[in-house]
Amino acid sequence: MFVNLLLIPVLLPLAVGLFTFILPKKDRWFRAILTLVTSIVAFASAIWIYIEKSLELRFSLLAIGNFTLSFDLAPTPLSSFILIFATGFGLLISLYSLGYITGRNRVREYYAFFLFALGGSSGVLLADHFLVFLIFWEVVTVSLYFLVTVGGAESKAGASKTFAMLGGGDGCLLLGIGIVWFLNGSFTISNLNIPFGGVLPVIAFILMMIGAITKAGSMPFHSWIPAASEAAPASVMALLPASLDKLLGIYLLIMLTTRIFVLTSGLGLLLMIIGAVTILAAVMMAMVQHDLPKLLSYHAVSQVGYMLLGIGTMNPIGIAGGLFHMLNNSIYKNCLFLCAGAVERKTGTNDLSELGGLVKVMPITFIACLVSALAISGVPPFNGFVSKWLVYQGVLETGMKASFIFLVAAMFGSALTLASFIKVIYSVFLGTRTQKTAKVKKDVGFGMALPMIVLALLSLGFGIYYRFPLNFFVYPGAGVQAVIPGIWNSTWATGLIILGLAVGFIIYLLGKYRKSARVVDPFIGGEKLEQETGRVIGTHFYDTIKEMPVLKGTYTAQGKGHLDPYTWIGGLGLGITGFLKRIHNGLLSWYLSWSLLGILILIVLFTLLK
Amino acid sequence: MEIAWYIFAFIVFPGFVFTSIVGLLSSWVDRKVTARVQWRVGPPLLQPFYDFVKLLGKETLIPSSGARLLFLAAPIFGFVAVTLVSTILWLANLAQVSFVGDLIVVVYLLVVPSLAIMIGGMASGNPLASIGASREMKLILAYELPFLICLATVILKSNSSISLVAIAENHVFNSVSGVVAGVVVLFCVQAKLGFTPFDVAEAETEIMSGPFIEYSGVSLGVFKLTQAMMLFTLPVFLITVFLGGIHLVGWGILWAILKYVAILVLIIVIKNTNPRVRIDQAVKFFWFYLTPIAVAAFVLAVLGRIFAVPWL
Repeated sequence: MFVNLLLIPVLLPLAVGLFTFILPKKDRWFRAILTLVTSIVAFASAIWIYIEKSLELRFSLLAIGNFTLSFDLAPTPLSSFILIFATGFGLLISLYSLGYITGRNRVREYYAFFLFALGGSSGVLLADHFLVFLIFWEVVTVSLYFLVTVGGAESKAGASKTFAMLGGGDGCLLLGIGIVWFLNGSFTISNLNIPFGGVLPVIAFILMMIGAITKAGSMPFHSWIPAASEAAPASVMALLPASLDKLLGIYLLIMLTTRIFVLTSGLGLLLMIIGAVTILAAVMMAMVQHDLPKLLSYHAVSQVGYMLLGIGTMNPIGIAGGLFHMLNNSIYKNCLFLCAGAVERKTGTNDLSELGGLVKVMPITFIACLVSALAISGVPPFNGFVSKWLVYQGVLETGMKASFIFLVAAMFGSALTLASFIKVIYSVFLGTRTQKTAKVKKDVGFGMALPMIVLALLSLGFGIYYRFPLNFFVYPGAGVQAVIPGIWNSTWATGLIILGLAVGFIIYLLGKYRKSARVVDPFIGGEKLEQETGRVIGTHFYDTIKEMPVLKGTYTAQGKGHLDPYTWIGGLGLGITGFLKRIHNGLLSWYLSWSLLGILILIVLFTLLK
Repeated sequence: MEIAWYIFAFIVFPGFVFTSIVGLLSSWVDRKVTARVQWRVGPPLLQPFYDFVKLLGKETLIPSSGARLLFLAAPIFGFVAVTLVSTILWLANLAQVSFVGDLIVVVYLLVVPSLAIMIGGMASGNPLASIGASREMKLILAYELPFLICLATVILKSNSSISLVAIAENHVFNSVSGVVAGVVVLFCVQAKLGFTPFDVAEAETEIMSGPFIEYSGVSLGVFKLTQAMMLFTLPVFLITVFLGGIHLVGWGILWAILKYVAILVLIIVIKNTNPRVRIDQAVKFFWFYLTPIAVAAFVLAVLGRIFAVPWL
């Protein structure tokens, strides 16, 4: 073979991305088709890499003493299965973009950075050298920044916040990598195995963990996802924060916990606490949102909690559950963002209070959204249930008394998630039609519908035949044998559910339904239902909860940004720059005295250190 | 052979046919006791069956504002879920058929009937039904928190087992924490059934049965049947989890019936002696009164575990 297979998913999207970037502006279909073809090739090569297994590419670039830089690519069972899904999501979203993004502004940047993000993610997953890993990691961060700005003028603030927070996380990651290099003298990921002794490994772990969970979007470094969602295109949200960023963040976290470090149970407990808090706090925020993508983005945060909870248990069931949940979450969350994009494309609004009654005109979007909503709420027999259930078992397996608190938090989080999606389903698809939705005549086209259908089917399929993804991807990826005892017989349960549906149908046939089903006006005490005034707006569903003591104060504080580290660190930064600004008063005598003071300090330091 | 056995279990015993017959009989008990409390005579034994058959023969009305297919399909979802729960519970009790985590499956499936009510109500496009659906969801949030904490107590008492057979072997009720948790769960069951004082979602006198307002004929019949089956299944769940399960051998038969009737009558008496609360009162009751009690029960159980005092 004249090109190494491993280079295809990494370098091909990057090269094509560069090419589309310099392509003239007018040629819009060519650009879209080229992106689609590239994603198909990347996806196919990812599958090939998964089948081939033992591939390796090592290409030394630079070596100065201990410091080496070499372009090493070496897939592991974990990374090669994540690669399949990363490129698969890329493929689905490039198909979706054909219908969604066409006709917007800045299509050129969209496709170019779309491909950069895809190539960067493949690079992160395949890299076996920490510096190469970091470079590709940055490529993804920067691409996300530019992709968010495609949303137009309103997206600027969100994009900056995204870049600032992810950049901060990446800075921590860099420091962590530095410490690891200092400890181990090697950048090669597969060589690392650091036991916990002393303070440095703990600091390194925490720094790198911050990088990972910022990427994945866990609390307390989550607030970039809602900020980005405010104006970013839905396909961007679906691709990066909902899928690729989760895959990459959790990939790094699993590498840290299972391969690079030998974790102590204290740090595992820390992860579990972060996870449980994230689940509950983020979903409470999601419940009261009015904007559909923003609501979904809080769920994108909340779901990370389950993954952290699973990984933090540090037992095989928990880690497998966390990993499987990562996979499932990226499937249904992706689908939900695509549904939001379809609704926005058709109605021109994201505001839940302006939507309603779309079920009759957008049945495909509705069913995809309903399936994903049930999956994310963990209703059996969908995929979210299986992975959450593995996480619960992992949590109980730890045998800690505290594990019950985590169990209750995680299960109650499911109920809150369901509540939030009841609101979405009602506000968008059910209820009465509004001015904005009355003009919609038909569902989205085939190109946009197909990705949603595929993802919804995957949610259902992975729920019923969960053995397939577990045996082929999750167990080898997590490096565990099939250890899960007596798992629920999902195939049987589904069979019985279908049987039950048939019984219900027979009851309908027994009744008089076939002969007479009369359509009548809804009954509201004899009044006539007015479309606008008689409407119950779904955004008011949980006002009772919002008004509860304790919660009310928390919601107010959150609304003012008091609970967001971005605001704290931002305030700190403003304070420092304000101080520096005051020093810069333009008087030469001041500057001279500052310089003199600096020289004095330096002299003192040098004499002391000598 | 296994297939035939599963299908028999699901359709005939202890699934659909058995659960619906006992469920409808239980709803007769409900109506009879209610009538006696109100100094009425009450209906004959087979009245719930007559009602169901009559609903089958009635005309089905479909609201013009609604989503027809979803509106008609919603009742069946709840019906399927409760049948499945009943099958799982009885197989665990009678045949010791269990799998790890069936407790969690049951807890999740028990939400589905409420989910069906909400989806059906919302699909009707009626504003009163929407209000009812939103209340139903808030009620779920309210009772689910103490409910889960009590289940955590049960799991702790059963040596971290989440399989129903193992939990049923443990008489959780033989301890202080078990009794407290059981009482809290009884209130949650009351809310799950939508019985007074927690019938905020239906609230006949206020929002005219809420989610059920547009239902008629067969679809209403299926909903009523589901509610009757829940009236049977939820006490069985309580017995399995707290009262040591059901053993249909010798004196066990009488004992099982006694447990069931006691719980049923308790629920009915609570229903008949209380006024309906508002939804915010219900949420406050569950979150700020029952949840601390549930936490106290859990703490007692943890202390009992640490100091090896089994009766705590």
